[in-house]
Amino acid sequence: MKLLIKLVLKDFKRNKAVTTALTVFLFLSALLMAGGLRVTGTIMSSLSSFNELAIPPEYLQMHKGEFDEEEFESFVKEHDYIEDSLAVRMLNIRNANIVYKGETLERCLMDNGFIVQNEGFDLLLNMDNEIAIVKDGEVGVPVYYAEELGIKKGDVITLHEGDYHKDLVVATLIRDASMNAALTSSKRFLVSSQDIKEISSHMGEWEYSLEFLLKDGASSATLERDYMEAEMPSNGVAVTGKLVSVMNNLSYGLVAAIIIAISILLIIIAVLCLSYIIRATMAEENFAVGEMKAIGFPKEEILRLYQMKYVMLSLLAGVFGFVACVPFGDFFASSVIMYCGHGTVEWMKWVYPMLGIVLLCLFVILGCRRIIKRNIKNTVVELMHGEENTKKEGHYTLPYALENRNLTVALGELKCKWKEYTVIFFVFVFSSFLILLPMNMKNTIENPSFISYMGVGESDIRIDIQYSDKLKEQKDAVMSYLKDDDEIKKYALYKTGYVQFENSNGQWEYIRVQSGDESVFPLEYLEGNEPYNMNEIALSYLEASESGKKVGDTMKVVYKGKELSFTVSGIYQDITYGGKTAKADTAFDDNDVEVYIVYLDVEEGVSIDKKTDELRKILQDSKITPVREFVSQTLGGIADNMTLVEGAAAAISLLLIMLITVMILKLITAREHSAIAVKKAIGFSSRDIRIQLGIRILVIQFAAIIAGTILANTLGETVFGLMLSSMGASKITMLVEPFWAYVISPAVQIVLVLITVTVGTKVVKNYHIRDQIME
Amino acid sequence: MIKVENLSKSFKNTEVLHDISFKINKGDFTAIMGPSGSGKSTLLYSISGMDGISDGRVLFEGTDISHMQEGELSLFRLNKMGFVFQNAQMLKNLSIFDNITLPGLVAKKESADKIRKRASELMKRMEIEGIENRDIREVSGGQLQRASICRAMINKPEILFLDEPTGALNSSATDQVLSILEDLNNEGMTIMTVTHDPRVASRAKKVLYIRDGQIAGCKEFSDDEGRERELDKWLRGFQFSA
Repeated sequence: MKLLIKLVLKDFKRNKAVTTALTVFLFLSALLMAGGLRVTGTIMSSLSSFNELAIPPEYLQMHKGEFDEEEFESFVKEHDYIEDSLAVRMLNIRNANIVYKGETLERCLMDNGFIVQNEGFDLLLNMDNEIAIVKDGEVGVPVYYAEELGIKKGDVITLHEGDYHKDLVVATLIRDASMNAALTSSKRFLVSSQDIKEISSHMGEWEYSLEFLLKDGASSATLERDYMEAEMPSNGVAVTGKLVSVMNNLSYGLVAAIIIAISILLIIIAVLCLSYIIRATMAEENFAVGEMKAIGFPKEEILRLYQMKYVMLSLLAGVFGFVACVPFGDFFASSVIMYCGHGTVEWMKWVYPMLGIVLLCLFVILGCRRIIKRNIKNTVVELMHGEENTKKEGHYTLPYALENRNLTVALGELKCKWKEYTVIFFVFVFSSFLILLPMNMKNTIENPSFISYMGVGESDIRIDIQYSDKLKEQKDAVMSYLKDDDEIKKYALYKTGYVQFENSNGQWEYIRVQSGDESVFPLEYLEGNEPYNMNEIALSYLEASESGKKVGDTMKVVYKGKELSFTVSGIYQDITYGGKTAKADTAFDDNDVEVYIVYLDVEEGVSIDKKTDELRKILQDSKITPVREFVSQTLGGIADNMTLVEGAAAAISLLLIMLITVMILKLITAREHSAIAVKKAIGFSSRDIRIQLGIRILVIQFAAIIAGTILANTLGETVFGLMLSSMGASKITMLVEPFWAYVISPAVQIVLVLITVTVGTKVVKNYHIRDQIME
Repeated sequence: MIKVENLSKSFKNTEVLHDISFKINKGDFTAIMGPSGSGKSTLLYSISGMDGISDGRVLFEGTDISHMQEGELSLFRLNKMGFVFQNAQMLKNLSIFDNITLPGLVAKKESADKIRKRASELMKRMEIEGIENRDIREVSGGQLQRASICRAMINKPEILFLDEPTGALNSSATDQVLSILEDLNNEGMTIMTVTHDPRVASRAKKVLYIRDGQIAGCKEFSDDEGRERELDKWLRGFQFSA
């Protein structure tokens, strides 16, 4: 054993550059694998502990307007599958009336409500995951605002309405199991019962949050149906526990999924490099192996000797990868830790990455063993004869006159030796892919046209008129204003309500239906088209998938007790409301309309921000949001996390590119030692030879960047679609920022390789023909 | 033509060549002999500028090549020198013909037509026509060594350096190569070869004997008659055995 270790250490010294590069490769693979699993473990632990402590409701129905408490209690009593219930009173305060550091929260998309701490379940927790308690004059602020606006403990939030002012000192940040995620459009502030009483007497509008916990085995779909059928208060959005967990998973889990995807890619790259390096190293060692076999060394001993190096490398990388994955994983899990706290199920954070490392090590060690085994199977004569030297690579023909000698020789040799460059080609492809995928994903998410995956066509501004007693009056006011505003190019009103439809199990379920002129802001349909006729309905992708409906199928719908038959006209993508929506020309009663949404485009040259401010001043009862803002705030957390992933992926990829270039150059120059010396002897300068090596690598890289870019735009779209399919968007068109994707990214990669080649080929100067001669 | 003055060469702390001085005239055929590890190949590479020197200087037609920049030296080698190695080192991705023409096409001293024509003529002269398009592994050692002489001659060099040109050849191939070298020298080509084979050295007009990095002896032969015997006798004085 001692001898084996000695030999391995000697080998390390001899092949410093290659061994170091390989170790870094393996380390990065281990780090990402373990890091991704640590993020996963942390998210699982964090969410499970958080949900255990906060006990979010399994069904939540918002309601604005009158509320009969007795009716609610009797509904709960009548349905024995309901474990517990709450009727939470929430005081909605308009964002314009909430001031932080001299600025109102008007620019925030969120609806803000003030509540007192609940009893029993749906508890708001402080940053230590204890039930939050605030005294009079204090407020608990959603952690979302700590992230978005930087609000911290000790800051002051002012509520004002007319002459009334109320200063509230931030006593704690609040973790809210139901409304934590940026994807949830409401946020809850915690105040004392005394304060809420005082504030409500001066400002705000009461809203109820009717919440339910279900007994084991009961489904929220059943509750939803029974609730609607009993005509219980439902003037507001309904949220199921499943929807909350989808939003949480997307907010926190997407990053983990991307890191794991990157680590898998990196492991593939590492294994590719390993197999190449092992084969290259073993080719050089063939003579020594032959000698060992000739003097009777047992095969197993030779295997152990050569395998030892890779075992040691894997273990070293594994140990360092595991140690480094702690800060790495915690950094990428910082968002979930911030929103949900450190979980109590500690083992997940340690065992998952450990398992990942063990699997990686086994994978690498067994892979090496297989290659080495295959190599030493050759006979002594075959080994000592040197397969490398007799291997035919083919010819290239010199042109009649040699106009550009370096280019001709480099391309000719590349033609003959292309197999040697397969690994570096794939590494460059993957690296380019790794840089572009998160970049394109982020760009897609941040683009206003992402709204089309939210079930509506692209527009400039969105006006929400919702959950109010004066819904119709507000809508009329908005429409009459827009009609006369010549700075507005076009607008369309959509009303949203609920109808029942028969699902694939023959049960009646409620579905959110949007009705309006779909041709004003046309949406790209996955299949079919928008509903043109009264009896046509378009379904969201998830709704269509779950109900098993295709374009042309008929669908039974019940509205106001009347059964109607609709034909599915098209399927579109929508990630709002859990991805389950529909579009149909339904003549909703004004009383049944839950929300009116107006989308509008401003005339060219009109500033969207200025128009938004202007509309906010005039249409004070409505919520006005620029669509760009709407998209970025709804997916804000995801986009922020994507920025982190984008940065990390770019850094890792560039490091990979550099490492593989160093490694390949080292191996190629060693392998072509003799050819380099001959070239020098016949009149090529070291500079010529370095240029030739550079051309070969750059040609490969250029081809790889093209392949990587195509892959990122095709496979990347599929991967992104898969990630978002659970939310309701399956077919995403990746939006590319051409300057970054096609100019900056390739330029950075090429420049890096150029620098690496320049430094890495310096060794050529030291290659002499005399080294080929044995006196 | 070549003047070597006080040439020394060290690898790390070991001095391989020590204070060597000699001259090579135009048209000379010089053989460098010596026991293994004596530094004879190192001397050849130091003189030809393929390897740097630690001290002294090498003047090629009055130009000090020992302090030339690497690029300048490459160009110098390309135009003025030809090299033949023991194992007929050739680029394995080129055919025999392309290997021969490559230095000519790189040098661009003449048109491609002329270079290709000369390559064909050289191959004919070396009696290796017909193997132009072959792979370097598809021809015999003798053919390959003759092809490498063609390559060395393609730019009409002023001097031909050879390192153990027959070291890997059988007896008949050795004779073929030696005849060619003799013919070339008779036509005026300056030749300098490293060899441990007295048969090769006996074709030279001058033999330098290197031992422990120094010139231990120098012998010039005036006529062909009895050269082999005379050399043998001289070498015995150094207790040399091939």
